[in-house]
Amino acid sequence: MEIEEKLGVLNYKTDKSYAHITIDPVICETCPDRFCTFACPAHCYTVIDNKINFKYEDCVECGTCFFACSHGSVKWTNPKGGHGIKYKYG
Amino acid sequence: MTLKIIVMMKQVPDAEEIFIDPVTYTLNRTAARGVINIPDENALEIALQIKDKVGAEVTVISMGPPQAEEAIIECMGRGADRGILITDRAFAAADTYATSLTLAATIDKIGKYDIILAGESTTDSGTGHVGPGVAEFLDIDQVTYAESAEVVDDKIRVKRILEDADEVVEVPFPVLVTVLTGANIPRRATLRRKIDAIKKGIERWDHETLGLPPDWIGIRGSPTIVGAVKVPEEKKRASKKISLEQIPEMIDELFEKGIIKREDGA
Amino acid sequence: MMSEFDVIVVGGGPAGTSAAIRLAQNKVNVLLVDRADPPGSKNVSGGVLWGNDLGKIIPDWEKIIPVERLITRKGTTFLTKDSAISLDFSSRKFLTNRTGYSVLRVKMDLALAKKAKEEGAMVIGGVTVDSVARKDGKIIGIEQDGDTITSDTVILAEGANPRVAIDSGLRKPIGDRDVAIGVKQIYKIPEDKINERFNLSGNEGFAGEYVLGYLPDGVEAGGFLYTNKNTLSVGVVVSPSHLRNYGQMHSYDIMEEFVQHPSIARLVEGGRLEEYSAHLVVEGGLSSVPKLYGDGYMIAGDAAGFSFSNGLVIQGMNYAIASGIAAADTFIEAKEKGNYTAKALSDYQKKLEESYVLKDLRTFKGIENSTWSSMAHRTIPDILERFLFRLNLEDGLPKKHILELLLRSVSESGHNKTSLALEAYRMMRRM
Repeated sequence: MEIEEKLGVLNYKTDKSYAHITIDPVICETCPDRFCTFACPAHCYTVIDNKINFKYEDCVECGTCFFACSHGSVKWTNPKGGHGIKYKYG
Repeated sequence: MTLKIIVMMKQVPDAEEIFIDPVTYTLNRTAARGVINIPDENALEIALQIKDKVGAEVTVISMGPPQAEEAIIECMGRGADRGILITDRAFAAADTYATSLTLAATIDKIGKYDIILAGESTTDSGTGHVGPGVAEFLDIDQVTYAESAEVVDDKIRVKRILEDADEVVEVPFPVLVTVLTGANIPRRATLRRKIDAIKKGIERWDHETLGLPPDWIGIRGSPTIVGAVKVPEEKKRASKKISLEQIPEMIDELFEKGIIKREDGA
Repeated sequence: MMSEFDVIVVGGGPAGTSAAIRLAQNKVNVLLVDRADPPGSKNVSGGVLWGNDLGKIIPDWEKIIPVERLITRKGTTFLTKDSAISLDFSSRKFLTNRTGYSVLRVKMDLALAKKAKEEGAMVIGGVTVDSVARKDGKIIGIEQDGDTITSDTVILAEGANPRVAIDSGLRKPIGDRDVAIGVKQIYKIPEDKINERFNLSGNEGFAGEYVLGYLPDGVEAGGFLYTNKNTLSVGVVVSPSHLRNYGQMHSYDIMEEFVQHPSIARLVEGGRLEEYSAHLVVEGGLSSVPKLYGDGYMIAGDAAGFSFSNGLVIQGMNYAIASGIAAADTFIEAKEKGNYTAKALSDYQKKLEESYVLKDLRTFKGIENSTWSSMAHRTIPDILERFLFRLNLEDGLPKKHILELLLRSVSESGHNKTSLALEAYRMMRRM
């Protein structure tokens, strides 16, 4: 089963007015390892045209990317107002 | 005089958690948790925007089981001033007629009001009856399919989204407005307001509070009879990959099978 | 000035809810805030709840908390590309000495939050706390959307990714050595089929831990498979430092390869994927435990780095509950004196030192170096596979003594017998 299909079963309450994680594209541009793309379990970090593409909408809020990035590009905050992932089982 | 706004809100099963039973083909809502009906959030947001701009007292009313209290507290956490839960076993299985009547009786008991806001329809039944039904029972003007609204003097100016046009109407109070899903981005509740809401508490009204006879409410007051719920038969679909040269062949096949017909019907 | 609350607990997991329940039972004016709506719906565990810590605050907890199955069968398995080598322990003794239940955290934590509310705590979900509030260097409450909500003490129980504690400078940011990446899938499978597949009856349950010995060199991960009533919890725990240094593998692919391994695939076969989740797993041992208390605050549960893993046993929730109760008890005593300074709250540390929470962390100091080692993840599975294959293979040749077979498997694996024995001895001592 593909990761996209797995994420498809999840219930997200996306906050359209607030991205709880942001990245600094300037830092990512020259990143030698791009470890985020391997570490993130929700496939939020992908490389498109040699640039890091990040989508917060699929984030399951594990916190991996925050320490996975050792270059200080990832700014991690909690989603607000009950937004984000809403698990049924956990 | 402070403007009085009433927002009608329903707690519905989270649409993301409702699934179709693979055996019975009916909607299984048992596992779904309660959330605020999405367009009701948008209706509340319009009420709170009016409150921010010209000042208003916003009352949220909801009809439902005791656990709908959480949804009302959330609304008060976003800025509503007062919450009323209309809850009574006698209201169970009400159709849109009995529901509209019950809500109208609630609003009547609240007394003074200028604007009533509601979601255009609910995600769990989607009839769109209740907003207009309440307006009819109260015998007041109504504006449907609103995307935004603002108060101008002693009127409300509403932008309606219609199929082929946008329409702006101005209506004097009292008026009921139903709001479209996604009309705005609802604000978040704050901890301060949620604490205050819990400390203040909500009011719980039953059919006796409203003075409604049992024959008018719940299943007894509901003229709707659901005959049967059927799942439409799935149409068979097929796909086939063909090359450009095979197109005439395919067209012949489609005629043969009667899938396409000539204009003259031959 | 009077504080609005006696205690504000940040986080609605086992640590936070246990603290709130204990406090409310002792007439403490407590506010529990969880950022999920409903509370607990962002929480994830493997999850087996070990021990009886909840019994201290909820005597009949096994009835009140929705537990899934009583663990009566425990498996430890080394998986190689072709083989599975298991130590399978099932015992009727667990029926009387109940020690572990499989649980689903969203259901369990909501029940705990409800219990806290029943006991008199104010419970609020769907609100994210921004930071602690400070005055003259003391913590006097929390900040949320520009408002300050005051309390005599704040208990930070935010879990493995404690933003408030980190952003407030109360603990250092999480690093590769502090955590592992947990990825999990829930499959729906009928109850009778689970019983049949895992050789269980009634509400008996199976808890399996796996060493994934088939991964590319350097990538190290463990797996787990727990039976719930009519679902299976299946997941992997990936070492980030190994993935970073050696791996060109996606964490989600490690998950997928695990469920595709022949020994796992047959257990989850026919199951419908109900949920995919990921969560940090606290693994850092004593070195990642922050300062646990200060003027007006205490840190509990995963946020404090409390967990235990020796490769065969993984535990966290019991440490969270025990620390939450200890924090509550510390506050209750401090309240009698009306003193919430670091000195008064230092009793929290003392209580934890006396309990298994910090005792275990001290006993097993440095164990993370053994559980995440090529010894455990490559060498042992490799040698065991060679040995057991030879032992059970009937190839028509004269048979050998077991010891000879074992030594031959060691030398075939390319290891020196003496240094291997020494390393194994050191590892066993740490475990």
